[in-house]
Amino acid sequence: MTELSIHGGANTASARLGRLAIYGALAIFAAFYLMPLAVMVMTSLKDLDDIRTNSLLALPERLTTFAWSHAWNEACIGTECTGLAPYFVNSLVMAIPAVAISTFLGALNGYALTKWRFRGANLIFGLLLFGSFIPFQVVILPMAQTLGFMGLSSSVAGLVLVHTAYGINFTTLFFRNYYVSLPDDLVRAATIDGAGFFTVFWRIVLPLSPSIIVVTVIWQFTQIWNDFLFGASFTSGGSQPVTVALNNLVNTTTGVKMYNVDMAAALIAAAPTLLVYVVAGRYFIRGLTAGAVKG
Amino acid sequence: MAASALDIRDVRKDFGATSVLKGVSLSLAPGEFLVLLGPSGCGKSTLLNMIAGLDPITAGEIAIDGRVVNQVHPKDRDIAMVFQSYALYPNMSVAKNIAFGLEMRHIDRAERERRIADVSALLQIDHLLKRKPSQLSGGQRQRVAMGRALVRDPKVFLFDEPLSNLDAKLRVDMRTEIKKLHRRLGTTIVYVTHDQIEAMTLATRIAVMRAGVIEQLATPQQLYDEPANMYVGGFVGSPPMNFIPATLVENGSALAVRFAVGPQGAGGEVTLPLVDTPAAARGYVGKPVVFGLRPDALTDFSDAEAMLRPHGQRLDVEVDVLEPTGAEALTYVTLGGTTAIARVNARRAVDVGETASLLADMSHARLFDPDSEQAIG
Repeated sequence: MTELSIHGGANTASARLGRLAIYGALAIFAAFYLMPLAVMVMTSLKDLDDIRTNSLLALPERLTTFAWSHAWNEACIGTECTGLAPYFVNSLVMAIPAVAISTFLGALNGYALTKWRFRGANLIFGLLLFGSFIPFQVVILPMAQTLGFMGLSSSVAGLVLVHTAYGINFTTLFFRNYYVSLPDDLVRAATIDGAGFFTVFWRIVLPLSPSIIVVTVIWQFTQIWNDFLFGASFTSGGSQPVTVALNNLVNTTTGVKMYNVDMAAALIAAAPTLLVYVVAGRYFIRGLTAGAVKG
Repeated sequence: MAASALDIRDVRKDFGATSVLKGVSLSLAPGEFLVLLGPSGCGKSTLLNMIAGLDPITAGEIAIDGRVVNQVHPKDRDIAMVFQSYALYPNMSVAKNIAFGLEMRHIDRAERERRIADVSALLQIDHLLKRKPSQLSGGQRQRVAMGRALVRDPKVFLFDEPLSNLDAKLRVDMRTEIKKLHRRLGTTIVYVTHDQIEAMTLATRIAVMRAGVIEQLATPQQLYDEPANMYVGGFVGSPPMNFIPATLVENGSALAVRFAVGPQGAGGEVTLPLVDTPAAARGYVGKPVVFGLRPDALTDFSDAEAMLRPHGQRLDVEVDVLEPTGAEALTYVTLGGTTAIARVNARRAVDVGETASLLADMSHARLFDPDSEQAIG
């Protein structure tokens, strides 16, 4: 990044004051946005006495990881007191294959739609685009019937199928727009060299796609991991994803409300998406702007 | 007769109602260097893609080495192509790029290595084999693209404007290099360009194309000396051929062209006798014709020049514009009411407004029908 000086560079008192105002405002906004996260983290590290007696914004008197371990493997969700752990595993078992399959199919679709333009390709792309504007709620009932028909009701495999099907629209859109900017001559040259549809895909197109793969994976993982509606609609009991389990944990606790456990559980449920952003975030920005500049 | 390397028989290409190629036929002997020359949109690249098999043929037949390939997949046509954009695989090293076609054909590693070494030595890119295309200069990429074609040793090489992305100096160097390669390897090449100098320097034969048809298919010299029509005469050569509106008249037993000289005919009329007029020209006596004369056949009049050009005719005309280019000066004059250009020795050039004595070499004259624009005879 290069720094551009838009103002003339006159280092006057008013200019400095302006800077101060800008940074002051930014600091206030940052603090405002970080506050809920800070409160969550602090509350999750307090014990219940601390929470009852002290202010919401006060720092913990004694640090304790009780709430974290309790949320992970002791808290009661419904009638089962297993903590979030098994549901967290459910979410992983759901999200990883769904992300992988939908990303792969999106890449294949995008490649076929841009580099092997067949009759009706634009129509198919239009329909796919249309699919990404269909709200979740509309498909719940037919999807439930389909899953029942396929014998996948109330299973993680069913959720994988639903998320894959629902994700293909988006992944295809991403890959298609990326591959439009790949020169067609590459495919033509490879065709003359003797490579077929899949060889070109594996050997030439896919190796040129890391940035768009990262973008798609982040997008899909966030969508699928955070999904609540499909999880709540199509699963029950032991096959629920972590988002649904979190809801049940928070809503069905009897007796004393354990705010610290709720907070820890929420943080646990949110951790994987945060992790994905941190690890792949810089590719995300790069990928979103890829193709905007030639080269 | 030996099988020709490439036969194109009445090939057509339609996109819906629009015809891009309106029946093209040509035949290429092994070792020929054919240049498809024409402005953008004339169908030359489409024809090349159809030879490669990248575009389907609407009608007609294409045969490579005697085998009709209309239904043959590009990879089985025994051709290799060099693209304008080079189309190097960005994710592969230079060596991998060159060997990709061999790998796809299941040629074993040792043989691949040997052929990479041969080709990279030939093109002087051996030191670049481990690099990625993004680490190469334009000229180096061009060489790698050629290496990828050469390594396959196909029956026919196809070049799609391969030099148009290079800067002027490099383009001239690579042009020479391609010519040398062709000499050395004796391969059959079909080469598409819109650059007539590239075409003239490289080709053994040129097909000048316009709007989906071949206007003329001839050697570079024939094309220059005997253009089949005014389009070819105007497209090939820089500056283009002069087209002077004139009247064909009888001059004793021979024929001659008569036209006005100077702006608004201020210099009166001249009658220049023709040499070796074709029989067909007899029918045009008394009628308007277009008198075509290359700028290098319209030069300064010196006694020495006149001696060397026995069919030279003297022409005195006022100079409109003078463009010195160093060795020679392009002298613009008005002949037959239109501008004509003469190539004059810069040291004998005459200033604007003065009268130049020009020598028209009538042995290089060419007559065209003003309506059909086709050459007479």
